[in-house]
Amino acid sequence: MGGIWIFADTRGQTLELLNVGHRLAADRKLNLSAFLLNDPDGAGDCISRGADEVLLLPALADDQSLEAFLPVLVEEAKKSDPDMFLFAATARGKELAARVAVHLETGLCSSCTALTYDPERKAVVMERLAHGGAAVQKVVCRTRPVMATIPPGAFEPAEAVEGRSGRTRELPAPPPSRLKVLERKIKAREAQDIGEARVVVSVGRGFEKKEDLAMARELAAALGGEIGCTRPLSEEMHWLPEEACIGLSGAQVKPDLYMGVGVSGQIQHVTGIRNARVICAVNKDENAPIFSVADFGIVGDLYDVVPKLIQKLKQM
Amino acid sequence: MPTIIACFKWVVDEAYIRKGSSGDLVFSTVDFKISEYDRNAVEEAVRLKEAHGGKVVALTVGPPGATKGVKDALSRGCDEAIFVADTSFENLEPSQTAEILAAVIRSRVPDFDLIICGEGSGDLYAQQVGARLAEHLAIPCISFVQKLGVAGVSLTAERKVERYTEITSALLPSLVTVLPEINVPRIPGVKDTLTASRKPAATVRKEELPPVGEPRLQTIGIAAARMDRTCEKFGADEAELARFADALRKKGVIR
Repeated sequence: MGGIWIFADTRGQTLELLNVGHRLAADRKLNLSAFLLNDPDGAGDCISRGADEVLLLPALADDQSLEAFLPVLVEEAKKSDPDMFLFAATARGKELAARVAVHLETGLCSSCTALTYDPERKAVVMERLAHGGAAVQKVVCRTRPVMATIPPGAFEPAEAVEGRSGRTRELPAPPPSRLKVLERKIKAREAQDIGEARVVVSVGRGFEKKEDLAMARELAAALGGEIGCTRPLSEEMHWLPEEACIGLSGAQVKPDLYMGVGVSGQIQHVTGIRNARVICAVNKDENAPIFSVADFGIVGDLYDVVPKLIQKLKQM
Repeated sequence: MPTIIACFKWVVDEAYIRKGSSGDLVFSTVDFKISEYDRNAVEEAVRLKEAHGGKVVALTVGPPGATKGVKDALSRGCDEAIFVADTSFENLEPSQTAEILAAVIRSRVPDFDLIICGEGSGDLYAQQVGARLAEHLAIPCISFVQKLGVAGVSLTAERKVERYTEITSALLPSLVTVLPEINVPRIPGVKDTLTASRKPAATVRKEELPPVGEPRLQTIGIAAARMDRTCEKFGADEAELARFADALRKKGVIR
């Protein structure tokens, strides 16, 4: 049977994985199968965007989490022996993929950002970041199926093509889970979406107290941008909401202008600003790592520099 | 009185990795540390013990040099340590690490109640070992937990998924992986370091465990992530700031 299989928490992520899966499937003339969670109306959309087969999963019980599908996925995979099995790298997708990989006795490339079939190696070469973003690691999987998790947003959704056909198949409801969900709390959005902002002013540990962030907000306003921060400011000091955190385990930003103020430039943060068009930094430590990844760096005390910069921008 | 296992990894401190002239990575001057995320795992285990009694067993797998990490973990409040050491454990793949941890837990700490891992390691950040380990031991797994409580025979964990949090419960024994926001790890003092050297630390040799499987993922290359920037520096006086603003204007990022 074989083929390429994809699994994601939401239809939006499924469409992104279809893009990846369709390209790999076309290269090797394989079938592409997409799992779809409690969304039978989405089957046609998935087929028009590249799926040859849609595997419909029923709704979960209220007290079940996504991991409940583990036995269903493992059983299907053992029956059909897919060539590849791709998951969206969401919190629960990452966990589920790792657990599936144990049962299928195979390797898993986590947070994979590039996948290409290498005909010489007869293997899919997969790329991911390691060492906090300082390194790019290339791996191949020596066992079958080749598994990977793919970060949401890493690929565009697949395009719809008219006249494609495919089949759908309904899968059984999963057995009761040992893990019980007691309650779900929707997170209140506390901040603007910095992922799409044109200008991001990011604050770091160089700020001495929370009140001083007013200065950074004023700078952001003068530049027409949003406020972001390094992990300690949101997760340890709680000066800003967690949505403002930029980096490996926070938001990836791609503004025209990123300005790091009092940001030292630890690699985990820098990984999140890689796609900014212009990177600037203000830091009093001339040797701060941020300067080696910045286009323009001001060496100076932020408490001196920022008010002067605001003044200058207002004059312009 | 629960027995809690805190898993940790002794990793290269990425701050010391240098970029070679040909885009390679230079590890010759690196230092090592307990993976930052695992410090939260150790801290959470120790806090639970302080609240409920019982003991915390620190567990790691790695090359013999990681013995420094064992002492570090003990100074952070763990009661005893198990170190599975072998020179061949330098670059284990997540599937192998999880297998080894499972084997050592089965043979040395079979009566555990809870295993706590960090959300991922500071070097590979594959975020697989915790989930894989739970599966090998056939126990419930709750990952990305930001709040954890244990009461009697069950645990309650608040886990962060994308747009909401799930409050979940499971019976012990279970495994959780914790997020950095769950706690602020303590910084060991001189006294803690002194006490640490008197705590029991067992070293398990590779030969005492079932054979380790072959790696399933093969790393075919590792190179410095490129970030080509102009790296122009400016001073903080009026003239320099004017020059800075001018540079931004020329790039078209400010009006």
